[in-house]
Amino acid sequence: MLFVFFRRFCWLWILVLIQALILNNIQLFGYATPFLYVYLLLKFNVDTSRYSLLLWGFCLGLAVDIFTNTPGVNAAATVLLAFVCPFLVWLFSPSDSSDNFSPGIRSMGTIPFLKYVVLALLVHQTALFVILTFSFTHFFDLLIRIVSCTLITTLCIWSIENVKR
Amino acid sequence: MHNLLSFLFRYGYCFLFVLLEFICLLLLFRFNNYQSGIGFTSANNFVGAVYNVSAEISSFFNLDIINKQLVLRNIELEAENSMLREKLKSVSPDSIVDELHFTLNHQGYGTIPARVVNNTINMQDNYITLDKGTCDGIYPEMGVANGNGIIGIVYMVSDHYSLVISLLNRKSSISCKFKHSDYFGYLRWQNNDSRYAFLEDLPRYAQFQKGDTIVTSGYSAVFPKGLIVGTVDNIADSEDGHSYLLRIRLAADFSCLDNVLVMHNRNCAEQHELESLIK
Repeated sequence: MLFVFFRRFCWLWILVLIQALILNNIQLFGYATPFLYVYLLLKFNVDTSRYSLLLWGFCLGLAVDIFTNTPGVNAAATVLLAFVCPFLVWLFSPSDSSDNFSPGIRSMGTIPFLKYVVLALLVHQTALFVILTFSFTHFFDLLIRIVSCTLITTLCIWSIENVKR
Repeated sequence: MHNLLSFLFRYGYCFLFVLLEFICLLLLFRFNNYQSGIGFTSANNFVGAVYNVSAEISSFFNLDIINKQLVLRNIELEAENSMLREKLKSVSPDSIVDELHFTLNHQGYGTIPARVVNNTINMQDNYITLDKGTCDGIYPEMGVANGNGIIGIVYMVSDHYSLVISLLNRKSSISCKFKHSDYFGYLRWQNNDSRYAFLEDLPRYAQFQKGDTIVTSGYSAVFPKGLIVGTVDNIADSEDGHSYLLRIRLAADFSCLDNVLVMHNRNCAEQHELESLIK
């Protein structure tokens, strides 16, 4: 129990530092920034209690926020993701799976896992950019941002999953 | 009672969700309140220290570019120096003393050198973190510039770090004028390109052309008069058609900032005092 907590804590800091120091400086084609830090939330075991998932989401988002000077923005989006995450896993998990598994290509299969990741990221990015811009005046611009960020983050997560396998 | 407890136990996470989102929104809106967000931004000591290490590493990789810029600047100064030397020979000692005295009195600014430890250019609102704070004499509303042009205005300070509102921020609005005439407008940032900003509220009868140099007007006491901001890149009409909207190519390259100067006006308090009399 304590070991799992400690491992997650280390991963949280590693992902936050990678996000703040490297990925936030990337902006492909002027739009696409990878938001890799949500990977931590996506990999939580299915039987994790929803309370701890929400609290982890809040801490993760807030840690990223403190580095990017946007208090509350990433935290709000990540808490929302933590709230809908169990539902999305349930939607795409194979019917013959065991009760306790960590979502991944090996446990779910490539296509269902990618569907799960894309949907989860769409929820997260939409919340993030809507809160960040707080208006729909540049609606098309907003849409391009959400889609491009989702695609590039999915690509990152997919390649990490393949390397880990 | 039993039913109520089991209900709370089953759906308690919904309440936790609402509570956490509420805290997030609270943080989001509190940050607009001046100075209150200090603990949750990169001006706090821990995050500042992390960015400090990161900046030291990345500045090592930027040495090449900075070196080239310094060489160019050196050549420029060398040329200026020789030109000034020529002028010096032709004027009498008295007039130089007078001129120097006049400039110092007129401008009345001191400078504090600082280094950039964190800088963003691709957010909607960009901030820069510097490695100097109140201990080094930096206070909010001081101007920040580097060798190429102006960069922003100090927003928050902690003991050893300060947060600067970059020109690339929707909150930023700086009074600027043409180098060769006194027509002035306000410099704001609108889109997501870090190389350009827009000069608004410029009267329709102003005379200028593409490539003209834009400098600070010196009206606000944050910046001294005549610091280079950029050059006119494109001329268009504002949305209401009453004024010009100029696209300005910024002189400072925001994607590689390292050494900057923070400027403080010695007469600032006096000017504020005088201006407050009319309110």
